[in-house]
Amino acid sequence: MELHPNALCFGSELPASGAPCLVRFGGQGLTVTFASESSAGWSEEVPFTALSVSVGGLDHDQLVLKWNGDRGERALYLKDADLIRSFRRSAPEQLHVPFEQAAELARLARRRRRMVWGVVAGVVLVLSAGLWWGGDLLVALAVERIPPEWEQKLGESAYRDFLAHQDIIKEGPAVSAVQEMTRRLVEQIPNNPYRFEVSVVKSDVVNAFALPGGYVVVFTGLLRQAASAEEVAGVLGHELSHVLQRHGLERIVKRLGLVVAASIVFGDQQGLVGLMKRFGVELMTLKFGREQETEADRTGLHLLYRAKIDPSGMIRFFERLSEKDEGRMEWLSTHPMSHGRAERLKTELAAMPRLSPVPFTFEWAAVRESVGAPLSAEP
Amino acid sequence: MRSEILYPGAFPMVRVELAAGEQLKAESGAMVGASPTIDVESKMEGGFLGALSRKLLTGEKFFFQTLRASRGPGEVLLAPTVLGEIVVLELDGVNEYMVQKDGFLAGAETVTIESKMQSFTRGLMGGEGFFILKIGGKGTLILNSFGAIHRIDLKPDQEYIVDNSHMVAWSATTSYTIERASSGWVASFTSGEGFVCRFRGPGVVYIQSRNPGGFGAWIRQFIPVSE
Repeated sequence: MELHPNALCFGSELPASGAPCLVRFGGQGLTVTFASESSAGWSEEVPFTALSVSVGGLDHDQLVLKWNGDRGERALYLKDADLIRSFRRSAPEQLHVPFEQAAELARLARRRRRMVWGVVAGVVLVLSAGLWWGGDLLVALAVERIPPEWEQKLGESAYRDFLAHQDIIKEGPAVSAVQEMTRRLVEQIPNNPYRFEVSVVKSDVVNAFALPGGYVVVFTGLLRQAASAEEVAGVLGHELSHVLQRHGLERIVKRLGLVVAASIVFGDQQGLVGLMKRFGVELMTLKFGREQETEADRTGLHLLYRAKIDPSGMIRFFERLSEKDEGRMEWLSTHPMSHGRAERLKTELAAMPRLSPVPFTFEWAAVRESVGAPLSAEP
Repeated sequence: MRSEILYPGAFPMVRVELAAGEQLKAESGAMVGASPTIDVESKMEGGFLGALSRKLLTGEKFFFQTLRASRGPGEVLLAPTVLGEIVVLELDGVNEYMVQKDGFLAGAETVTIESKMQSFTRGLMGGEGFFILKIGGKGTLILNSFGAIHRIDLKPDQEYIVDNSHMVAWSATTSYTIERASSGWVASFTSGEGFVCRFRGPGVVYIQSRNPGGFGAWIRQFIPVSE
């Protein structure tokens, strides 16, 4: 006759993984019938009076019956709900109290687990809701705590990585022009924690970007397309503002927070390592939010103003960008352009006292020529 | 279904003989070779949602492959991805094993697999993530490990401590708690152990002699950094 085991029995001579057995409850006690071949059909009778009741198993979800038999100590693990009910029905009164205590323990463990998960789910929910609605505040708080030195290290490694594969212009009119613009802007920053570094990179891309920590890259494409030095200075003012407002860091913290949370929840600890590697790439493709752009525009404008560089160059450049064929303008892909942006800056500028700009010491035409722009062609 | 482990040691392979009509589910990609009578199908064990949850939650493969002896008896050769031993268990319908996500290699059709949420502390510190596989039912279960598999037998209330990244599988009758390896937080980490699991019998715990995460970290230092 084939036996359908419904419990596991443990004992000194039984296998460590437990001997499958069939348990039946009667009026006086229980009968354990073992399924193993060596002891086929062999049964053990245990009176209820010999039993002690407890809970066990990984999740405290199994009923454990223990007794001291002829063959030493035995433990029976039951998890089948019907079997446990049957035990409850047939067990004498003196076992009811320990049984209820065991059941209470199991319920408690289950409740506690549910509660912990409930709390965790709640916290995650509140956090994600908080991140969704009040995330900017949290991010700002987190960013505030990151020392500029870390930011500088982060930016520097990405900057060196990027430059390693680029054709850098080391000296010449373009480099000194860009350096002069940067110097004049940086001089106007009170309590500047950053040591700004600018590189001019040979590329047709009409763009410039700034990495956290003050690492700025200007592409020759931008110098060729700009009609005046003030336009380039405008872009630089905007980019420096991103650095000063720590916009890059804000984006990273925001994105990182989400990924870290997700990888903890889904148990993908390896993902964290990969994440650190992706950092560098992430920095390069960082897109700023609309609010960050507007903020950088505004503070960039003020920076230009304080540096006595004509801010209308920045506005003109934005206007020209929004008119241009969008596909050609790399700057547009990272800096979504709208007519509104130039308009807002115009209003802002109109409210400021009139400025008498101090011209740059370099000849813009010579700078453009040095990066290969046609002599007189209108960009 | 009969199974035999070939080349025991670091690079084992398991041969499973299937009677006509019998089938086996295996981790996708586990099949090395098979008789022409065997059909390979991919199947989402537990339906689409079950498969999706297994994939998302435990990181196990979305599809299992089903190897069916549909045109007569035959044999299948199976091997795990990582180097390490294979162990064959016979489930009797009452025994259940908790298996960490990379431990499952193959099982008889009658073996049931579900992903199960662990308690919060175990999930956070246990090193297996929040979800593990609970394998029960009746029939042959084939597990694989990274390194050698070591079996620890625990009598009722007997305790044993295992580093959290060395666990492969353990009986559902054992329970474990997570604790720090040393009494101080700093010492726990400087000792290189971090968290350990204190298992309490009765039951069986299978552990692996190598730590996949540790091996990964060790090998990473030799890989040239590319962008």
